[in-house]
Amino acid sequence: MRLGRLACFVVLALQAAVAPAAAQTFVFGAQGEPVQLDPAIITDGISSRITRQVYDPLVKYKGATTEVEPALAQSWEVSPDARVWTFTLRRNVKFHDGTPFDAKAVVWNFERWWKSSHPQHDNQVKAGQTFEYWEGQFGGFDDKSIVSKVEAVGSHAVRITLKAPQAPFLANLAMFVFDIASPRAVEKWGTESGKHPVGTGAFKFVEWKPNQEVVLEANPDYWGVKPKVKRVVVRTIKDNSQRLAALKAGEIHGMEGLNPEDVAVVKSDPGLQLLLRPTNTTGYIAFNYKVKEFQDKRVRLAFAHAINKKAIVDALYGGTGLVASQFQPPPLWGYNKELTDYEYGPAKAQELLKQAGFAHGLTDITWEDGRKEPMIFWYMSRSRPYFPNPKEIAEAMAADLAKAGIKGQLQTAEWAVYLDKRKNGQLPLYMLGWTGDNGDPDNFLCYFFCQPGVSREGFYANKALADVLLRAQTLTSQAERAKLYRQAEQMLHDDIGRLFIANNQPPLAFTRKVKGYIPHPTGSEYFNIVEIE
Amino acid sequence: MRRYAIRRSLTVIPVLLGVSVLVFGFVHLIPGDPALTMLGERATPEKVVEIRERLGLDRSIPAQYLIYVGKLLRGDLGTSIVRGDPVLTDLLRRFPATVELAAAAMALAVLLGLPIGIASAVWRNSVVDSVARVWALAGVSMPIFWLGLMLAWFFGVHLRWLPTGFRLDTGTTLAPWTNFVLLDAALGGNWTAFRDALRHLVLPAVALATIPLAIVARMTRASMLEVLSREYMRTAEAKGLPQTAVILRHGLRNALLPVITVIGLQVGHLLAGAILTETIFSWPGIGLWVYESIEARDYAIVQGASLFIAVIFVTVNLITDLLYAAVDPRIKYD
Repeated sequence: MRLGRLACFVVLALQAAVAPAAAQTFVFGAQGEPVQLDPAIITDGISSRITRQVYDPLVKYKGATTEVEPALAQSWEVSPDARVWTFTLRRNVKFHDGTPFDAKAVVWNFERWWKSSHPQHDNQVKAGQTFEYWEGQFGGFDDKSIVSKVEAVGSHAVRITLKAPQAPFLANLAMFVFDIASPRAVEKWGTESGKHPVGTGAFKFVEWKPNQEVVLEANPDYWGVKPKVKRVVVRTIKDNSQRLAALKAGEIHGMEGLNPEDVAVVKSDPGLQLLLRPTNTTGYIAFNYKVKEFQDKRVRLAFAHAINKKAIVDALYGGTGLVASQFQPPPLWGYNKELTDYEYGPAKAQELLKQAGFAHGLTDITWEDGRKEPMIFWYMSRSRPYFPNPKEIAEAMAADLAKAGIKGQLQTAEWAVYLDKRKNGQLPLYMLGWTGDNGDPDNFLCYFFCQPGVSREGFYANKALADVLLRAQTLTSQAERAKLYRQAEQMLHDDIGRLFIANNQPPLAFTRKVKGYIPHPTGSEYFNIVEIE
Repeated sequence: MRRYAIRRSLTVIPVLLGVSVLVFGFVHLIPGDPALTMLGERATPEKVVEIRERLGLDRSIPAQYLIYVGKLLRGDLGTSIVRGDPVLTDLLRRFPATVELAAAAMALAVLLGLPIGIASAVWRNSVVDSVARVWALAGVSMPIFWLGLMLAWFFGVHLRWLPTGFRLDTGTTLAPWTNFVLLDAALGGNWTAFRDALRHLVLPAVALATIPLAIVARMTRASMLEVLSREYMRTAEAKGLPQTAVILRHGLRNALLPVITVIGLQVGHLLAGAILTETIFSWPGIGLWVYESIEARDYAIVQGASLFIAVIFVTVNLITDLLYAAVDPRIKYD
């Protein structure tokens, strides 16, 4: 009895200690720990969610779209040959360390990204870091880059000269990697600047407690929409169910990374709301073209007819998935609305296999060098937005294929090993996907299909397709480019180069008190517009 | 005794050497080139060569091992591949969280496990014993992952009594000093933070305590049963000693030896970082850190942490061995 009373007392004492959560703090539950907070170096969404609050780009995405609007650059002009871009910068903007934002700072940032001899570039490379996205989006460093000159023309104007027109130039500049950092802060911290982010953004960096949280505070001098909360805390909660528990318990206000099966839980909870990111992600199955069987178009067509995409999307995406007919997700402006997908039909698939000489089904494959082995269908060991339940999805697809007589064995590998094997062209048949970086169709199609025959794309060599994509890269008229991307999707479809399975709209969950959060297709979401009632 | 202590301590050296070879070797056994991992997908051959040189991967394996041991002796556990921080600093910063959690869990396990074990043995085959045995079995076999989630959902979401994770609320401020949050709060006289920290400790400690609690209870029961049947126990009872004295002084003290061994092993386990518990409850200790580093393929951290964990195990075992003599004066080592 005494013990019971003691227990009651302890519980009451603990309850009394519940501190009322400061309503002025927005607490977001993240899936993982940021890698670091130097936007030029990071490549992941978890880190960039934080850097986007601290820094600003020259141009930013508008609302939930991937159209660009002014940010640190107030306006811009482009020369008729689309090679010279002149940006007029916003005046009276200061970095969080008090230094002024001006043309010199912008030029300094570009040179850091671009020139390998820049001391703040060189030191990072020596420390094992790379400016990966600069290399990817602007062709490389130094002379390899498409950028040939970056100069200040006046205190608040910057002129960027390109060697050739680059259609997605503005869309590229809006990416989180090209956020502008305080030169003084980067020089001060050197390779440690990823722990001491200083930008012009709506929030200032306060503290990063490893494996726990990153704390930011409102920047009262922000040039844009002033933050509606005083503080932002981004907490790392690795486990999806536990993160949802924290949300339901009111310990966090919002979260990403819902299990598909928890979407219904959030929907049915009157205290919670579900927001979907506009889809910007596509999951696919890729063939290895060094496998003789897959070189036969009839076999690939059989795959296309065998898989019941709709059933998979309905059953395994928690209601947030969409059936994909092509590589680009529907919101992209290069999406081909005219394209009709192959309909689901196991009988048709069987017929096609028979025509291809596999009347008794397809169970083994032959590599070009003559090696014969059982067909292995590789699936991902890690959940990604495009395949939130990779194992279950793979099992469903394998069952569909088996019905049509295509019998593969499922196999997986640790994520990094899986990616390595894919890169080296060692996977005969595998699932993977892509999430867009900047909303430009080029970002989807060109990375995969502009270099015919590369090992990382299963040696898929479609020269005609590559030509169309490379041509689209040099045009600046969006209408003309859109036509080429639609054509490219049709070519890819007709050749059944890949099987596109699904798009997903990654779900985010919030408590009802949160207002104004705008989910963005690239995950570039700004907390200054978020309000807590 | 002194000679034994020295001899026993010396056996630690070959064990640690062996561990260092294993830990060193495993990086070379894992598929995938560490240089490639560092550089990511778009690595150029020149950069791979550069990084391999910087990491010393271009030298022969024995030479690499010697360099590695040389660094270890100077207290250099390497630097994180992903973030570039010294591994030792990171380790020491996270270790207090693990110690705090492990100590709380062990305290629960011993404070509850011993009495339960004793009661089970004294009232053998009674209702108490049956309940305790079923409970112990459940404790050992229940997946911590599941238990942790259930605890968080019941006490955190449903009843809202306790937080579902972390060491402090977002609104609680506490200057880090020793990184033992409870200690920091107490030293600073910050009782709000102290209560907050205590509330955060309850669920992870309970989850983590289940297995050691069950093991301690079962071991105590078994060991007590053996002792209870001894003749000196009957003698003690016949002398007319009060029953508590018979059970505790004559029984428990003699039954304690195997229990201490088990406790020692469990302490080793807990200090090694309870990966699942720490991950579920976002507890920033060694376990969560190692889990993240394995995911990120940060070999340097995994290597450094493995070595550290091995050292912890070896040390705890050593202490346990030396403790025998203190608990049981009959033990002579020479």
